[in-house]
Amino acid sequence: MERRTVLKALIAGAAAAALAPTTVRAARFRPTLRYLRPPGALAEKDFLARCINCGQCGEACPNRCIKYFGLENGLGSIDTPYIIPREKGCILCMKCGEVCPTGAIGRIAREAEAILDGVKMGHARVDESLCLSYQGKTCGVCYRACPLPDIAITVGRLEQPHVTDKCVGCGLCERSCIQMPQAIRVIPDRG
Amino acid sequence: MTGQRHKPFFLWRHLNRLRWVSLSIVFAMLVVLPFLHVYQTYVAAHAYDLLSPPEKRIYDVMEALTQPFVSDPAEDLDAVKGNTWSGTFWGLKLSDPLAALGQMAAGRTLYWPFLVTALLPVAFTALFGRFFCGWICPATFIYELNSNFASWLRWAGFKPGNRHFDKRIKYAVLALGVIGSAVTGSVLVAAVYPPAIIGREIYYVIALGGFSAGMVFFLATLLFDLLVARRGFCRYLCPGGALYSLLGRYRVVRIRRIVENCNDCAKCNAICEFGLDPLRDGFGQECNNCSACIAVCPRDALTFTIRPTDTAAQGPGHLGWQYRREVEAPGGQEAREEEAA
Repeated sequence: MERRTVLKALIAGAAAAALAPTTVRAARFRPTLRYLRPPGALAEKDFLARCINCGQCGEACPNRCIKYFGLENGLGSIDTPYIIPREKGCILCMKCGEVCPTGAIGRIAREAEAILDGVKMGHARVDESLCLSYQGKTCGVCYRACPLPDIAITVGRLEQPHVTDKCVGCGLCERSCIQMPQAIRVIPDRG
Repeated sequence: MTGQRHKPFFLWRHLNRLRWVSLSIVFAMLVVLPFLHVYQTYVAAHAYDLLSPPEKRIYDVMEALTQPFVSDPAEDLDAVKGNTWSGTFWGLKLSDPLAALGQMAAGRTLYWPFLVTALLPVAFTALFGRFFCGWICPATFIYELNSNFASWLRWAGFKPGNRHFDKRIKYAVLALGVIGSAVTGSVLVAAVYPPAIIGREIYYVIALGGFSAGMVFFLATLLFDLLVARRGFCRYLCPGGALYSLLGRYRVVRIRRIVENCNDCAKCNAICEFGLDPLRDGFGQECNNCSACIAVCPRDALTFTIRPTDTAAQGPGHLGWQYRREVEAPGGQEAREEEAA
């Protein structure tokens, strides 16, 4: 019995030693997740310290764009909310901030002024080599999806989109882009 | 010993049933709320015609359930959100004291708007002790069913685990969770606290389409309870239970043994989910006032009382053989004849 347990421990240890470097390497070279925090969220460090993982933001979201991390983004952000803009953008209804008990997501009124001031989820960027409008095929879908048209995004000749620095990064443009891969992406700004 | 004996208020022995009603309501709420949320999203999207048949069924059922109470589902159903870890009930925000403690540790600041949401639970815990564990906790609902399942297994000839550990381990788990939260700067204690996990995971599986990592942990605790120690996680490991025990140490409402009625049958000790010792007045800070011992007592020898400390050990019950032999021995013969007559 003694010998068996010792052998088991040895085998387990050897297996762990053999696997450890590969898992570490895998973690190091894993492509980073491009995710947004809900609108009005604090800077990442403060957000993680504040969020108690209660899940009310997702339960309040009428668009069901808020999802929750498992272990894929590290132990620190387990069960914290995130948004993948290509899958579903944020409609800036601001209900998550209203329901958040800890202030990890700030309360912001659902008005253009307050949203432009308070929300900084990220910033959209157009890849002109992928964008149809820049290839001479009039598109303009992103402009029409934008909840802040002519403020956050303007269109020029052939509906070529130009993102202004007022963009709050809700991700509706990226969600709506008809190109695959998408020609407009939100670069997250998590502070 | 003849004639008037102190009897507990007759409703106390039915409280255990009321407790099951309470547990079931909380659990049912955790299941219904995600469906209501999904229904809200369908309403908000004006999407009925685009729904698949199962989604239409959710829509119809939820509409039938809520129609008498709300006029605008997308807005009005926001009144109740969340779970037992932290929730909103018609504007009243309530949070688990462990959430407040974990967040204090993680942020190393006091964020008052959140901390006040834990005040009411803390006050109730000061009054009723670890009542959350017995009356509200959605994990308890499953753990107790699991415990009943274990007793069926025992009846069927299997041997579920019944090992005993030191009950103080859970205070170490609480301390580790708080220190871990402080070190990582994230409320990690939420990841090892079953009621928080259950609340989240039910939402995940209904609204987001799948369980997450927490479910693996929860299943492990179920197996631990079944194979290693009865209600082992709650007794020995739960960080929230530890916090509630500390807060409820000087609870005002507690269970007391009426030694005159007790016949030392020990059914209370056998039924106690938390492995306490009502038979020898050993309730302590871990009793969750679940009242299962009151319900099972054949002699009305357990009752609620209002005092901040337990009664000191009162010795053998006056109806038991040990008391008769040791204390009543000289005149015991007469007393027995009197009772028989």
